[in-house]
Amino acid sequence: MTLEHEERRRAFGFVAPALIWTCAFFLIPFAVMALLSLAHLEGRAIIQSYDLGNYIKIFTEPSFFKSIVVSLEITLTVTVLSVLLAWPLAWIIATQVPPHYQRLAIMLAVLPFWTSYVVRSYAWALVLGQNGVVMQGLIGIGLLDEPIQIMATRTATVIGFVHFFVMLLTLTIYSNLIQLSPNYARAAADLGASGWQTLRHVILPLTLPGIMTGAFLTFVLCIGDYITPQILGGNNELTMPQLIMLQLGRRGDFPMASALSVVLMAIVTLAYAATARWLKMERV
Amino acid sequence: MRRLGWIYLIAIFTFIFLPVIVLVLFSFQDSRLPVPPFDGPTLKWYVQVINDRSMMEALRNSAFVAFTSAAIALLLGFLAAQGLSRVILPGSVLMRGLLIAPMTVSYLIIALGLLTVFNNLGIRPSLWATGVGHVVINLPLCFAILFAAMGDHQKNAERAARDLGASELQVVFLISAPMLKPALLAAYFLSVTFSWDEFIIAFLLTRFDVTLPVEIWSMLRSGLSPATNAIGSIVFLVSISLLVLLEITVFRKPKS
Amino acid sequence: MMQKSINAGLGSLTAVMLSTTSLWAADELNALVWCDHTDPALLEPFEKAHNVRVNVKEYEGTAAGLAILDQSRPGDWDVMVIDGVDVGRAVDEGRLAALPADEFDTGTFFPEVVMPENNTRDGVTYAVTEKFGYNTITYNAAKVDLEDMNSMSSLWSGKYDGRIAIYDYYLPLLGLLGLEQGVATSDLDADAVEALRDRLYALKEAAQSVSDVVASQTALATGEVDVVIGGGEWLTAVLAAENPDLNWSIPKEGALRWTQSIAVLEESENKDLAVEFIKYITSPEGQARLATSSCYWAMPANASAGDILTDDEKSTLRWDQQADYLSRTQLYPIPDADLDLAMQDLWTDMLQQ
Repeated sequence: MTLEHEERRRAFGFVAPALIWTCAFFLIPFAVMALLSLAHLEGRAIIQSYDLGNYIKIFTEPSFFKSIVVSLEITLTVTVLSVLLAWPLAWIIATQVPPHYQRLAIMLAVLPFWTSYVVRSYAWALVLGQNGVVMQGLIGIGLLDEPIQIMATRTATVIGFVHFFVMLLTLTIYSNLIQLSPNYARAAADLGASGWQTLRHVILPLTLPGIMTGAFLTFVLCIGDYITPQILGGNNELTMPQLIMLQLGRRGDFPMASALSVVLMAIVTLAYAATARWLKMERV
Repeated sequence: MRRLGWIYLIAIFTFIFLPVIVLVLFSFQDSRLPVPPFDGPTLKWYVQVINDRSMMEALRNSAFVAFTSAAIALLLGFLAAQGLSRVILPGSVLMRGLLIAPMTVSYLIIALGLLTVFNNLGIRPSLWATGVGHVVINLPLCFAILFAAMGDHQKNAERAARDLGASELQVVFLISAPMLKPALLAAYFLSVTFSWDEFIIAFLLTRFDVTLPVEIWSMLRSGLSPATNAIGSIVFLVSISLLVLLEITVFRKPKS
Repeated sequence: MMQKSINAGLGSLTAVMLSTTSLWAADELNALVWCDHTDPALLEPFEKAHNVRVNVKEYEGTAAGLAILDQSRPGDWDVMVIDGVDVGRAVDEGRLAALPADEFDTGTFFPEVVMPENNTRDGVTYAVTEKFGYNTITYNAAKVDLEDMNSMSSLWSGKYDGRIAIYDYYLPLLGLLGLEQGVATSDLDADAVEALRDRLYALKEAAQSVSDVVASQTALATGEVDVVIGGGEWLTAVLAAENPDLNWSIPKEGALRWTQSIAVLEESENKDLAVEFIKYITSPEGQARLATSSCYWAMPANASAGDILTDDEKSTLRWDQQADYLSRTQLYPIPDADLDLAMQDLWTDMLQQ
């Protein structure tokens, strides 16, 4: 009994530093920020009024509320598109590429991940512009008469995001696929399932944890990202992080930025709750 | 089916590599605008960024923050995983949840929270403040990877060592750590990567001693130039070299 | 030559990577600035002459700059670059230190930009104008009718729909829209600003993007857009060599003139060095370097810089036309804190349209 007690005490000693760090630099800051979101800016002074004024403004002021809608629309589009593009890639690598070359293939598939994140969005701006290689290429082979406007639209933002998250999802789905026993597919074939049926009814459901883990990470990283929409979106609409940075960078309005962050946090928490039963966050 | 697969593969790889190829190609552009037509090659933009004092300082700052914060995150995560995997503590589910939580939150929120608290405490934005933030985002990652890697055979080895009279520290650093070497390395280098490339925390929490992504961001905002392509290509080249080096030395799987 | 500079580069790279402690002299000057002050070519002569290190941090709007000061500790900052029309706000808040006026001779400055009504109060000088330029219409002369560029109103005609970029800064843009509607910037009050809402939305409708400096430059240089409203010489000067068709002019409605002032902060613990820095920046040499700084070019406040700038540089800056431009442009609107927030709200609404 005392031995077990001693053991527990010791184990707790091991966990404590990490817990203290997380509390001091994550939980408490979040609490302070939540408290600050109940204040408001008057002229240049922050008045601690303990009211919901900022939240009321977020949900009633059309331009603020729209940023929530814009962020959700972009994030959901990106998540779905990324899953649709990444799954076949992961599947081809896991099943069609000889095992010996799989590691190489997967490393190649995520190679651009190693470019700097800020530069990646900038590179897409160069690619998608009217003078960029895509438009000039399409005109060159006669598919287009004149360049179409992609840069500085939501499409550009989505393309920039999808590029990054396809790589992320390919990783999570691939690692899920290679853990599946080939016996599943064999059993399905023995029972008379066609290749397509096996894929649709056996393999696909078994990769749900990989899909959901990747999709959740995509959701979190995408909805909180400032750089990509700022560089590629042309300020034609504002996502939540852009609005938050506008409050900070131009107005010095910390209370409003905090309130927007709390709303962002709430959305992410909802997304977590919706996907939680598939997630194995401890085994990413 | 097979042909369709190949077509898909070619299309998606084109998509994945297009921006990188354009980025690198136009870093050799001769004129000021990194857009077609290509009129290079020249190395002048590389010379310019390598001679750029603030860019090189940012490079050093980024390396410092990445290696230091990843080391702290690794140590904290390793100890926590040790503690939580050996016995079932009361509230251990809650503790695990708390440790993982920062991974499920946007970096912007973590950055803003820290900025608010540091402002209230009168702590200046600095490289150290940024490092603290990077430990927050990497600790869950290290913990998760190491917690998943700890298994029964390891517990048995630890118990045996303890029975033979090894001290607690000896057990942790002479038995557990070596057994977990691949997971420790993976966690460490993943953390280094995330910290190295992190923008928003570094942007909000530094003052003069900025990191590379922040410096690139201000470069991007202060004028269009192939120099941005050049620094992007350099970062890419360095990362890839490190990756290849790690792949052939550390992570090489023993032939079975 | 190339080989040599590569070697020099690699050498300095190694030196930087190896040094674990600061390479620099102990004395430091901390400056809160706009991006033109981050150019090493501007800072290095001062750093060498005084054996100090100048640390610079960029900020965007005056409100954000003042917020940074709020959050700092006394002594954190020595020098601040601030919008000329906002010097008064900073003085009101007690942020700026009195300058030894006799050490700053503004006799050689362009008289229109000395602006004693902004830079001094009750006979005390708090800031010195260092640089100025215009927010007007920038365009690609090969792609637009030059006739149209004489009138701002043509941007609403439909002819340039989808080919316009709006410079992403609310103060000059609301000022320009006011001028287009016949309202002087000094008359822009809350009601007048609100009256611009529909006009602003219509402009957004016609625009391809609302862009910061580089995004506007990129868009203009790559043919993405043909007109940038709010642009000026600071937008086109660095691109002049690449594309001589990029041009700017002041339409018949007039345009805005921006000025930036530089000041010493009251809480600085290094005021003497800060004053020296301002002396350097306003000297002919500092002025010439500032005018052609890598982030953006614009006219130096001190006309003596003309002795140092080359003829090419002066013609890019349109040195000889300044008298005409100065007479046809107005200063930025000067909102109080409340109107400032109202303007920003309007701007946010427009972005989200």
